[in-house]
This record gives sequence, structure tokens and C-alpha cells, in this order.
Amino acid sequence: MAYRKVCRFCEKNVERIDYKDAKVLERYLTDRGKILPRRATGNCARHQRQLGTAIKRARYLALVPYIHGYYG
Amino acid sequence: MRDYEVVYIFKSALGTDEIDARLQTYHEKILEADGSEITAVEHWGKRQLAYPIDRNDNGYYVVAQFSTEPEALPEYERVLKLDEEVLRHLVVLSEGELAVPSSMHEDDDEPPRRKRDDDDDDDDGGDDDDDGSEDDDAEDGDDDEADKD
Repeated sequence: MAYRKVCRFCEKNVERIDYKDAKVLERYLTDRGKILPRRATGNCARHQRQLGTAIKRARYLALVPYIHGYYG
Repeated sequence: MRDYEVVYIFKSALGTDEIDARLQTYHEKILEADGSEITAVEHWGKRQLAYPIDRNDNGYYVVAQFSTEPEALPEYERVLKLDEEVLRHLVVLSEGELAVPSSMHEDDDEPPRRKRDDDDDDDDGGDDDDDGSEDDDAEDGDDDEADKD
């Protein structure tokens, strides 16, 4: 998809990105499990920072992998 | 007094009553501080871990919220660390009510994926179902390569 100019989280008026919501976080990971950069997500700075924190918390809680497909 | 949120991951072999008993003992540690209270406890139940932890592939998730004095936390976390039945725990400052996960981003959104490395494997698996329903102006930049360089 083309990159977006509007931050999705701003569009939805998200105050806080929930680190427990693996479904949402998964969308911002590459197929290897890396966090997508802002130029790909189109997020605003504030939400991209929140997203990073949320993903890192979710990784620790094994809701989201550190590395996707490590086991093949 | 601060609001906290904690996520526990127990070994999935534990029974519900054993887990409840454990939660009870942990939460007593919190309640020792004056004016503390447990505001919410939610059992997610058994869930597959994204990666094995100590050779466990599944874990039993419990999310709880409480408010207490910061001084009560070290002792509480010490007890948690000592319990080998707890695979992981995470205490963070609470950010509001316990929401149902996946509340935002219903399935109207396509993932903002844009791969530059290993792009050629199974690309059409995920993103192709973009029906362009929400933003028409995104149509012309549809292929990932166009805006890369």
C-alpha cells in the first residue's frame, strides 16, 4: 500500500496505544517482526513513539514475536 | 497513590484455582499499603506464546489493575520473581480502563505493510485484498516500489 499522510491513530482519536492489543500491533511489524518505520506507517511522531513502546512491551509479554519465523 | 496495571503469564499447566490462590497472595502484598485497592482482574486464559519461554509454548494470561503507593511495589515484585510458576510479569502505569483488545482498527484497515527486503516471497498473501474502499487517492501509488527511491 502507498504510504499514508494521515496517522491512523490520529484518525481514530487513539489516546493511548494498547500494548495488549496484539492484533493492532502486528500490523506495524514486518514479516520478520521488525517495527515498521514511520515512512512506511505514516504515523505521526507521537503515535509512532507510543507504538514503539507498545510493541516492545508486547514482545516481552510474548504477545508479539521478537523475530517472526525464527523456527521456520 | 498511583494506578498500575499488571500482566501475569502463568504456566498453562496450572489450574484456575491455583492461579486464583496465587493472585490472592500477590495482591495481598499490594493491599498491605493503606488505601490500596485492586480495581480489576481479568483472565484472558490460556494463550499461545509468540515464542517459547523456558520451553513453555502456552501461557495463562491474567491482567489486573490496582492503585497503591509506589513503595509497595518492590516487595510485590520480589514475590512474583520468586514464583517459578510465573513465566513473565509486567507492571506498568495504568493508562485507563481495561479495554477489550482489538477495539480499534476493525477489519476495515489493511495493514500498512511495505517491505523492501525479502519482498518476493508470498506478497500476495496479505495485502491484496485492498478494495480501496476508504481512500481513493491512494490508488495511484498502489505498488510498493514506486515511492521507494
